[in-house]
Amino acid sequence: MTKRVLSVVYMFWITLFFASLVSAVKLMNDKRIERNQTIKLQSIILRVLQIPTPEQMPEQALSRLFADRVKEIDVQGKTLYVGYEEDGRTIRGYALPVGGPGFWGPIQGMVGIAPDAAKVLGIAFIKHSETPGLGGRITESWFTDQFEDLPLFPIEGERNIFYLKPEGTSRAANELDAITGATNTSSAVETFMNRELDHFLKDLWGQIGETT
Amino acid sequence: MPNLPPKKEIFLTGLWKDNPVLRQILGICSTLAVTNLMVNTLVMDLGLIFTVCMSSLTVSLLRKVTPLRIRMMVQTLIIASYVIIVDILIKAYLPDISEALGPYVALIITNCIIMGRCEAFARHNPPGASFIDGLGMSLGYSLVLIAIAFIREPLGFGTLLGFRVMPQGFVHWTVMIMAPGAFFTLGIMVWILKYFRPQTGEEKG
Repeated sequence: MTKRVLSVVYMFWITLFFASLVSAVKLMNDKRIERNQTIKLQSIILRVLQIPTPEQMPEQALSRLFADRVKEIDVQGKTLYVGYEEDGRTIRGYALPVGGPGFWGPIQGMVGIAPDAAKVLGIAFIKHSETPGLGGRITESWFTDQFEDLPLFPIEGERNIFYLKPEGTSRAANELDAITGATNTSSAVETFMNRELDHFLKDLWGQIGETT
Repeated sequence: MPNLPPKKEIFLTGLWKDNPVLRQILGICSTLAVTNLMVNTLVMDLGLIFTVCMSSLTVSLLRKVTPLRIRMMVQTLIIASYVIIVDILIKAYLPDISEALGPYVALIITNCIIMGRCEAFARHNPPGASFIDGLGMSLGYSLVLIAIAFIREPLGFGTLLGFRVMPQGFVHWTVMIMAPGAFFTLGIMVWILKYFRPQTGEEKG
């Protein structure tokens, strides 16, 4: 066997060995990774619907609470979540997955909307790649808490559902504090959230009654 | 090798005398990226320590059978495999930190310290010495990163490991959160070190 062939054979076997090793580790942990992501999504949906969860809730209890109180529905190809009160019949609100381009990469979030679609219950961000400490502060509670009870109405003309204003200058109920030093992230959030909320009010909200 | 220095000497070379960050100026990308929070720094350090040690060990074990002309391909394969394993394990057991670190874990692959040690040390030396060399170098890297995070997190966020250490009215230094803050911190550290302990051959200028 020439040296060249030996190199190819050697590379083949060593690649096979390491690829198998990596695949084995991945297979062993796949379920766990998937469960982590499900739990995170479930806890975020419960949070934006303002369904109280005790702190340090064990994972199984959280999944059980989620199964009892939340139902997944499909409206025009978009997945929405319907939250129910403790009686299991009265609708508590809808959770709407939202998303759009941020400053560095896509931002994904979840918005809880009241059953009459008149106000926001709560919001949370699931995934983003904004600068930690600047744009990344969109996940901090002082920022997301502002959206609670935000009045909702379909956009007509130039008026937006809400505006993000420099900290301390907001006057009206639909003017919220932007993040100082993260103007680009703030305006990105403002743009896609207004668009997604408007889309919900105009196109999805009317269809929900038929599916539930 | 006939004239292999004792293990303690190998270890100390990586840890301090020939510190990969302060002396060799390697691994700067991750140094700048993850040091604004101590928690992220610690996880990055653990990931790097594991990868450097295991890659050096594996490259050294295979050093007599690996054909010379494809050795870099083999090294990259070994390093990439270990990094993916670290990434999977962090995702499975530390999901919050995996999110905070984002793509940085996968980018351990590009950390020049790892391949640097494989090329410069592990491929000529026995496994034990290679492992110690990797351990010294990666701990040297970790120490510098921890030192930088120790300066950046309190000044940038007013906290250390998430606990508030600065007084209430403290104005956060936004620059410390971003990469330039790390540049300044690292630059000042290298400067101070060079002032007190110039590298051999450098004194003449």
